[in-house]
Amino acid sequence: MFERLKPHFPWITLFALAGIVGAANPSFFNPGGLALLVSDIVPLFIMALGMTFAIYIGGIDLSVQQIANMVTVIATVFLAPLGIGVAVVAIAAGLAFGAAAGFVTSRMYVPSFVSTLALGFVALSIAKWLSGQRALSMDAAMREESFAWMFGVTAGVPHEMVIAAALLAFAWFLQSRTRFGRALKAVGAGELAAVASGIGVDRVKIAAFAISGAFAAIAGLMFSVKLSGGDANLANGFLLLAIVAVLVGGTPLTGGVGGVLNTAVGTLIVMVIRAAMVYLEIDATQQQMVFGLVLIAAIALTIDRSKLRGVVK
Amino acid sequence: MTEFTTVTAPRLPSRERIVKWAPLLVLAFLILLFPVFEWLEDFRGGEDHFYLLDSRFFSIRNAARVAIAATPALMVALGVTFIIIMGSIDLSMEGTVSVTAVVFAFAFLAMGGTLAGHAWLAIPLALLVGAAIGFVNGVVHVKLRIPSFMASLAMGFVGTGLALLVTGGDRVRVEDEWFRSLLTVRWFSFPVMCYVALLALLAAWFIQSRTILGRNFYAIGGGEDLAKASGLNVERVRIMGFTLAGVFFALGALMAVGRIGIAETVTGKDFMFISITAVVVGGTALWGGIGGVWNTLVGVLIVNVINNGMVVIGLPSFLQDGVLGLLVIVAVVLSTNRKSISFVK
Amino acid sequence: MYALEKVDKRFPGVHALKAVDFHVNRGEIVGLVGENGAGKSTLMKVIYGAHQPDGGRIAIDGRAVRFQNPRQAMDHGIGMVFQEQSLIANLTVMENIFLGFERQFTAYGVIDWRAMAAAARTELAKVRLDIDPATITSRLSFAQRQLVELAKVLTIEGRVDGDLVILLDEPTSVLARAEVELLFGIVRDLTKRASFIFVSHRMDEVLELSDRIYVMKDGAVVDVVDRADADADAIQHKMVGREVDKEYYREQKQKPHGGEVLASFEGVSLEGAFEDISFELRAGEVLCLVGTEGSGREAILRALYGLRRPTSGTVTVKGRPVTRFTARDGVGRGIGYLPRERKVEGIVAGMNVHENMTLAQLPKYSVGGVLRVAAERRMARDWIDRLGIKTPSERTDCAGLSGGNQQKVVLAKWRSGGSDIFLLDHPTRGLDIGAKEDVYEMIREMSDAGAGILLVADTLEEAIGLGHTILVIKDGRFRKRFDGTPGRKPSLYDLLHHMI
Repeated sequence: MFERLKPHFPWITLFALAGIVGAANPSFFNPGGLALLVSDIVPLFIMALGMTFAIYIGGIDLSVQQIANMVTVIATVFLAPLGIGVAVVAIAAGLAFGAAAGFVTSRMYVPSFVSTLALGFVALSIAKWLSGQRALSMDAAMREESFAWMFGVTAGVPHEMVIAAALLAFAWFLQSRTRFGRALKAVGAGELAAVASGIGVDRVKIAAFAISGAFAAIAGLMFSVKLSGGDANLANGFLLLAIVAVLVGGTPLTGGVGGVLNTAVGTLIVMVIRAAMVYLEIDATQQQMVFGLVLIAAIALTIDRSKLRGVVK
Repeated sequence: MTEFTTVTAPRLPSRERIVKWAPLLVLAFLILLFPVFEWLEDFRGGEDHFYLLDSRFFSIRNAARVAIAATPALMVALGVTFIIIMGSIDLSMEGTVSVTAVVFAFAFLAMGGTLAGHAWLAIPLALLVGAAIGFVNGVVHVKLRIPSFMASLAMGFVGTGLALLVTGGDRVRVEDEWFRSLLTVRWFSFPVMCYVALLALLAAWFIQSRTILGRNFYAIGGGEDLAKASGLNVERVRIMGFTLAGVFFALGALMAVGRIGIAETVTGKDFMFISITAVVVGGTALWGGIGGVWNTLVGVLIVNVINNGMVVIGLPSFLQDGVLGLLVIVAVVLSTNRKSISFVK
Repeated sequence: MYALEKVDKRFPGVHALKAVDFHVNRGEIVGLVGENGAGKSTLMKVIYGAHQPDGGRIAIDGRAVRFQNPRQAMDHGIGMVFQEQSLIANLTVMENIFLGFERQFTAYGVIDWRAMAAAARTELAKVRLDIDPATITSRLSFAQRQLVELAKVLTIEGRVDGDLVILLDEPTSVLARAEVELLFGIVRDLTKRASFIFVSHRMDEVLELSDRIYVMKDGAVVDVVDRADADADAIQHKMVGREVDKEYYREQKQKPHGGEVLASFEGVSLEGAFEDISFELRAGEVLCLVGTEGSGREAILRALYGLRRPTSGTVTVKGRPVTRFTARDGVGRGIGYLPRERKVEGIVAGMNVHENMTLAQLPKYSVGGVLRVAAERRMARDWIDRLGIKTPSERTDCAGLSGGNQQKVVLAKWRSGGSDIFLLDHPTRGLDIGAKEDVYEMIREMSDAGAGILLVADTLEEAIGLGHTILVIKDGRFRKRFDGTPGRKPSLYDLLHHMI
């Protein structure tokens, strides 16, 4: 019974947390407020969604925050000449960085922890160079013309949520309905068996990191448009939260378990914990610590230890 | 032939030898490289220049500057070195540094605010707090069977949160002349904190090479199952390792406060990636078992020499991160023995 | 001095040790021989405390003892020198020797390296190894590591008052002849302090070193031979045991083959694994490679598949010389590989039956990169029926299936993909009798259908029963070729004779 419940712990944790917050302060369930909460977390969610692919094969992507930083600058600088085309440049840049990290990891035997960290520094350099190390603002008219659709509301549903849902659907499709997704699972769950079945493991890894980079770029783009500007530090603070969202959702660092739906749940858990601070009127100075403690509890609850093979490092 | 004397240990293969010394070679290369840029610049300007002799980079003053900048990071990196040798990772340093820094500062002020009085007690207190956080970190990791990456990441949040709770977001100034003499008093051009750091480095070396605990880190990193089979209490060693790391993080906090005279929630900021980068660049492998405190010293110096050298030769500062990033990859590729690993994630 | 009396050990479905009587006298070297699966390793595990017997008793000097774990056995003077390296490669020799027992060299928590080095030298001198105890273990040769392992076990001497019993599990498998002689010299000298139990596949070495030899077959001791009366042929006949006949091999089920050449090796070598290997595999043929552990059989399969690149020679598959050695290319040439480590390389635990079955042929089950899951599942259900795979559904996680059914999933993975060359490495390993029969049946069926099968069998009987051709390999080289067609099959003894 307990064993069968295990995979569902992330959901249960989410609903239990939401229930507690709602019971303490029923206004938490106010649809308008909830919609606002959810749309606020969309850039983080998109980043976590991409990161899921890296963690799913047993790696990690520490470059996402810097890629997002770089993209905020790219978006701001090139919005004027390129208009909406800047999105293509931004995503291509994210893809390229991710693919490079994947290449360095799989072909040059540099652990992804290091390769993505290092390439993140490179992205940061580019961001600083392009921005002249200043906070830049977007051309208001161009922003309106090219990207106003991102933040509209249709029938009470914020467009950010629609975008997030579309990307989630895309990621889910990629993960569960494509050849690539199947290969990804095989690499994460049993790399040696994947090799022995003739799967091109290196290519799968490179693609996984490329996707992570591309999603980070989309997150950066949205963030930049939302704040109407770009800066080499704009997305700072996102990285650890994105990792946390993936892990709390039940995709452990060992790979092959979990997936993008888990990340959706994980992001919502992070969101509820953060919102709880506000709704439960926890003092601002205590919030960070409470967040950490609840996080330990959530991780302890949601990780499925039977799926962690071998020694726990 | 009845004796085995004919069979002596094979000489170190040359590839392996290069791998071993690669980080030091990179450091030497960098130290000799930056003055070349200075020379080039003066040469273009038509001035006489004698390479190292009148280099601004290759000078005692600048060496002291690099040393001061490197000191707190070195302490933190030493702590995490032990964890990485075990094949684990500790990401709690930012939180631990912040919380020990502010606890130290408050205790210091509360006990009179000067090292001349009872306030010196704040130093052992800070080390104890660091040890306690590390201990909890280790217990959470080992007893709840949470991978160290996740456990320490969450502990880092708790640490930063505690620091915020204690300070309420304020800065705490430590202006005691005696304590600040860590930075202000110089012996042979180097401030006192550099000598303190040297002592800590030697202590870490001692732990690494002369204690059972230190050797057990290597045994676990080299083969946890085999170590367990030989009767090693792996759980205990792991918890002690994280505790020890906490003490070094606390030392890093003291150095950081000594350097700028302020303790606040963000004192620990940026230590995580800098320290791990330094450890890896120094040649300590993330999968454990290889490397040590001297590697970490070299790694910390490489990182700081790059940062400093680029400023001295007037390269745009935005390039620093990128160059450092590429160098990290080069350093790791150079110090990886490909034959010994089947796949990397 | 050390004795097992009527010791029994059962595992689910297996009676691993049947009333085994076994004793070692002081200063004696006892040989232990038997085929794979005869019960040698279970017996060793009982002796050094890794298994507890279900019946019978263990006595040291007449007193009954019972060990819960190897550590307790060590405390009674029983040590094991493992076949696989149990030294930690990044530590120094002396650290490995005293791992877990460093406290004797510390004062106030400080390790006295000189004292440890001196003590290590004493231990190393016992095995006549003159190396610096501070040498990093990974820099030693295999022979030296073997001796360090022995030295490590000998440290028991300092902690135990009584006599020692030391088990040597295949200690010579990685040693050159000169090194073997050195090792034997050392072991003989050490009999002043310890008794030895020597387990080896190499009959000549067992005869050379042992005072007495225990012969095991099917979990029982079938003979004990004194050195004076020992004769390799007689022992080998005892290991084989029963006479096996046509009925046993089901010869009538084996059909003749006579197809074209599917794959061939011409003078292929792979450094450190095998040398100058040539053979042809024809359609419909079952070609068996027999040899002891580490004789190079597995590497031959992996080289043909593409997982390892030969250092020289020509590999030809379906008329084309192979230049690219990757598993991907192997799959493309219609080769299916059933690895020995089923749970590591065979199936992906965490993926379900149909996902595992289509893993090697995803292009076939996808259009424009999108999976045709319905087609996958249809195929999987079809093969579940055809092979009688016992699984609740095609969507069950393979990790939960029994070994035999996992093996069938791996076979279905290749058969459904239309492979016509099968490389089977120990396909019946760890399966129960019924599952084994199923696998035999499938191998015959596949060969009838015209596939070429290269088989590394789990037992010699399997090789003889299934093979049209049997190639004996020893130390990476071909020794002998046997015709395995019905009526002309070699005897077990014939094979064994060339293997060891």
